[in-house]
Amino acid sequence: MAESSDEKMSRNRRRLSLREELGGYLYILPLLAVLAFLDFYPIAYSILISFSNLDYLNILKPLQIVGLRNYYTIVASGMLWKLLYQTTIWSLGSVAIMGPLGFVIALVINQRGLKGKAAYRTAILVPWAFPAFITILVWQGMLNLNYGIVNRMLNLIGIGSVNWLGTPGNAMLSMILVNVWLSFPYYTFVYTSAMQSLPAELLDAAEMDGYGIFGRLRRIIIPMLSRQIAFITIFGFIFTWNNFYIPFLLTSGGPGTSTQILITYSYVSAFDYYNYGIAAAYAVISIIILVIFVVVVNKMTKMMSVLY
Amino acid sequence: MEKYQLDSKSGSNLTVLESTFKNSYFRRIRLLKRLLSHIFLILVSVFAVFPVYYIVITSLSPIPALIDVSAKSILPAISTLTLANYRQIIYDYPFGTWLKNTLFLTGTSTVLGVMLALTSGIAMSRMLIPGKKALLYMMLIISTFPFVIMVIPFYFMFSSLHLVNSYVGLIIAYSAGAVIFSSWLIKNYADSIPRDYEEAAQLDGYSRTGALFRVLLPIAKPVIIFALIISFIGPYTDYALVSVLIDKPHLYTLTIGMYSVVDGTLGMNYGTFSAFALLMGLPIFIIFFVFQRYLSSGFSLSMYK
Repeated sequence: MAESSDEKMSRNRRRLSLREELGGYLYILPLLAVLAFLDFYPIAYSILISFSNLDYLNILKPLQIVGLRNYYTIVASGMLWKLLYQTTIWSLGSVAIMGPLGFVIALVINQRGLKGKAAYRTAILVPWAFPAFITILVWQGMLNLNYGIVNRMLNLIGIGSVNWLGTPGNAMLSMILVNVWLSFPYYTFVYTSAMQSLPAELLDAAEMDGYGIFGRLRRIIIPMLSRQIAFITIFGFIFTWNNFYIPFLLTSGGPGTSTQILITYSYVSAFDYYNYGIAAAYAVISIIILVIFVVVVNKMTKMMSVLY
Repeated sequence: MEKYQLDSKSGSNLTVLESTFKNSYFRRIRLLKRLLSHIFLILVSVFAVFPVYYIVITSLSPIPALIDVSAKSILPAISTLTLANYRQIIYDYPFGTWLKNTLFLTGTSTVLGVMLALTSGIAMSRMLIPGKKALLYMMLIISTFPFVIMVIPFYFMFSSLHLVNSYVGLIIAYSAGAVIFSSWLIKNYADSIPRDYEEAAQLDGYSRTGALFRVLLPIAKPVIIFALIISFIGPYTDYALVSVLIDKPHLYTLTIGMYSVVDGTLGMNYGTFSAFALLMGLPIFIIFFVFQRYLSSGFSLSMYK
């Protein structure tokens, strides 16, 4: 059966006419148009701007290319290194908490015979179901130094107010905390469905043989899910690297520029300081880092093969 | 023989004893494990729900400004609850206009994007497209670029096309975002459907393309719903692009509207803000829970197979 359908396919392939061959392209034309005009062209345009002196003084003049001047400026001022450092701390810090937390919750909630699973699952979905744009602003109010509910409650149990958003270290921690709140439902959800795909007989047999939860984790669950864990963690890192709204809304990059990350600072440079050339340079650097990251990780883990 | 029997008898007695002891020991361990699991999950649930609960309570309380918040406001007396904040947001602010604008923008671009993605997704799964692998690889890399990075070039592109303060540019940009992701999803979904169905339809006299769309579209309903929801949430909560392209108040969307209510004065209009937050978040919240089962199949599809 399989062979015959294979034969048929190869026969079909040989008989393909030009019309059929172009037919496929006809259907993906909208996709190709979007890729060309709304992805490649804008990215190329960004790269061009990053080599130009486009700012509020030159906005009405024709684009003037100044070579690597913008890149030289951001390296020389030290801002690029500062942003790279902050973006890395932000991404690694978030990924190190939200992924493992989601994994542990999934492990606990997946126990057989546990009562109230549906209720817990619904509660855990709440942060994910509410638009992040809103809940980030809610958190900003909750973490307010003098009037926020978090400090009011801490005061109630005799702990002094914490300046959540006012010092560089605390502001970064608060950002990671809010990111964990926003993201752990997703990780719980993905890991739950991954764990449910594991063969139950195997886990039962291991339990009979006296493997405790840690034994089963080390010998069965983690090895069998290693691909998924790698995939989820890598995309979590990329997603956090690109997460715009938490730094933008929660801390506005402050105090000072201590919680700015590459893309928020790029946005602010463009639309608050009108330094479009500098802004585009930051964006281009962020894109280059992402592309290198994806290509290298793909080489190392062949992770893209799960996608075909 | 007798001795052996006796031995085995006493032996079995011992195991019974041992196992009852073991059982009660294990039962106690299991009970403790259950208890700890519940405590852990309750803590996690409280952490998850608290901010949303808090904003619901605040929106219903007479708390005009952030300065009026106290630890007691978490558990207000029922008699103090009021709809004043909602009345204020609906009558004192152009909330209706903002909502209408947002729904128009978001709805149009979502439907447009997903419709275009349907043909491309199905074609990528079923038709011969030389260079498909390279195309998919490119799409994957592009999907890792944040939307915000496109805002600078879009701003200049749309300015030169006189699309500032117009929804045309926004709809183009939003549907572009939806097309890439949705094509990807629909391609993955179609890959998981056996070809037998459309081959049967072809035997019934449909053309190849007719068979493809007539057969695959109804089966693909879950993934289409998922793509619609995901494509809806992005533009619904976009601030980065819309705030750059729109500065006429009658064209404001909910996000710019909220930012204008909150900006610098979150402390002042706290009650209004929380009512606003709830009214704006509720549609997404409801959609999310109503279509929960489509989400679960959709997310596993977008991650790995």
